[in-house]
Amino acid sequence: MKVLVTVKEVAEVGDDFAIEGTGIAESDLEYDLNEWDDYAVEAGVQLAEADVADEVVAVTIGPERSEETIRMALAKGADRAVRVWDDALTEEFLDVAGKVSLLEAVVAEEEPDLVLSGVQAADDSFGATGVALADRIGFEHAAVVNDLEVAADAGVANVHRELEGGVEELTEVDLPAVLTVQTGLNEPRYASLRGIRQAQRKEIAAKELSDLGLSAEEVASALTLTEMYEPESESDAEMIEGDAGEAAGRLAEVLREKGVGA
Amino acid sequence: MDFDLPAEHRMIRDTVREFCEEEIAPIAQEVEDEHRFPAEVFDELAALDMMGVPVSEEYGGLGGDQLMYALVTEELGRVSGGIGLSYAAHVSLGSKPIELFGTDEQKEEWLRPLATGEGMGAWALTEPGSGSDASDMDTTAEYDADAGEYVLNGTKQFITNATVANSVLVKAVTEPDAGYDGISTFIVDPENDDGFEVTTVWDKMGLNCSPTCEIQLDDVRIPEDRLLGEEGEGWTQTMKTLDGGRISIAALSTGLAQGAYEAAKEYAGEREQFGQPISKFDAIRDKIVDMHRKTERSRLLTHKAAVKYDEGNRVTEESALAKLDASESAREVAEDAVQVLGGYGYTEDFSPQRFYRGAKLMEIGEGTSEIQHVVLGRQLGL
Repeated sequence: MKVLVTVKEVAEVGDDFAIEGTGIAESDLEYDLNEWDDYAVEAGVQLAEADVADEVVAVTIGPERSEETIRMALAKGADRAVRVWDDALTEEFLDVAGKVSLLEAVVAEEEPDLVLSGVQAADDSFGATGVALADRIGFEHAAVVNDLEVAADAGVANVHRELEGGVEELTEVDLPAVLTVQTGLNEPRYASLRGIRQAQRKEIAAKELSDLGLSAEEVASALTLTEMYEPESESDAEMIEGDAGEAAGRLAEVLREKGVGA
Repeated sequence: MDFDLPAEHRMIRDTVREFCEEEIAPIAQEVEDEHRFPAEVFDELAALDMMGVPVSEEYGGLGGDQLMYALVTEELGRVSGGIGLSYAAHVSLGSKPIELFGTDEQKEEWLRPLATGEGMGAWALTEPGSGSDASDMDTTAEYDADAGEYVLNGTKQFITNATVANSVLVKAVTEPDAGYDGISTFIVDPENDDGFEVTTVWDKMGLNCSPTCEIQLDDVRIPEDRLLGEEGEGWTQTMKTLDGGRISIAALSTGLAQGAYEAAKEYAGEREQFGQPISKFDAIRDKIVDMHRKTERSRLLTHKAAVKYDEGNRVTEESALAKLDASESAREVAEDAVQVLGGYGYTEDFSPQRFYRGAKLMEIGEGTSEIQHVVLGRQLGL
């Protein structure tokens, strides 16, 4: 069985940053592997270690810079990687549909039995790429997976899904499938230093639009970024002070004011 | 001349940093307070292939270079000087000499367990009466030709890792009156060689999670195949070993300085007095800028020495310069960090005092600052 793991390099900003046009100043950005994808990589590598997966391939959409990030997936045990980028993609915002078109082409080439994807990306947080991809390629899917067992012979994945209100859903998903992975599915490992050294020699295949049989129009975004601003935040937190009795009294007062127990 | 680290080195540094922040920083003060060698941390370092970074893959090491090793050592120092010290002693003093001077058989038996992290390495040069002047060594190794054994007698002082070591490289006199040319190196097995005893584990000003010991060698009989290199080569081996070892102490010092600098910078940005963060006052800002300056200088000297070493050069001057500057800088930066945090800096709830205590040793171990001046003076032809 072949596992395809989608990974994304996400930009992180510190406390202080400057907004330039519709973006954040490059000097204020640090790049890292998307947290949710880290769990997806770990899940893929564990499937390989359990001899359920024969090959784990990581795929990313990003410029050359992102090779360093995707190499971390290789250091943790992915066998090889595919990096999709094209000069045509640098101009405009790439929306979910565009990403799905790119990934669809990679799926057509790789023919995976299982696609693992983080629930969401820490930067734009659409939380849509995984399930939209499943829809496009006609795979089964399960979202927000926090427990996973794959019975490759039976062609099913048994998953737990984290629903709102603390409810867990147990579902059987027929393969091939796309699963979007929630944090807590596993404990992502540190890459071993030997893994990092070996990763330098693993293949990262760079693909442009033409390699995937796509045109710039086909991945053009329906969304346009029009503005970037820092929303004003309001905070009216009250710190309750005093000894336990006083604090409890004041807390009760506040709760009553807010209508609790009325 | 490229000042950017290679991508592989950067990835390794970042991974080690993440590990150190997540797994070591939270217990760094605790293991100091308890004077406890954290074996569980070293097991994890072994699992991540960190215990034999600059040792060849043939003997279970990572096959990395001195620069990579310096980066790893700096990251350990940034969170725990004690763990960093035991680590550097294990690699530079306990492991590297076996790789450099040992036979294939010795490497298989003694280097492999160190490089894979199964065991800890140590070495024993200093004695109660012989520190900077190693020619005045009293520990002897007499050859018993009938038994094909050496018999070791003497006392060794300030031996890092002796209580937890798989092997100790002991320097002993095989030819009295020959001075530096009469010293040889022996691989001693603390667990299985009778007559080896750790007589003291010192309580120190800092770095207490790293055991520093006094060793008694009382008619320790070891087979002749435990001689490392040839008889009389002990001192030249020592000089070569310290060229590399001083790079690791420089790296460790850089880490201590970096940790102290970051603690002070963060605190100064948050602590408000007279209506603004104290980092906005010239007195504190200038201090922090200087801390950064000294730390960066230490790092540059350390990396230069490491790169020259990797190019196959003798680095006596570069490593002495890096060690001298980085160790003094670490002590100064850590002292300033204590000052920036004021009363809090003097408490054990904050890390600067730990860096300060640790940094002081860097000016003493593997050649005092005074000896580094002697080494450098000689290099300059003075």
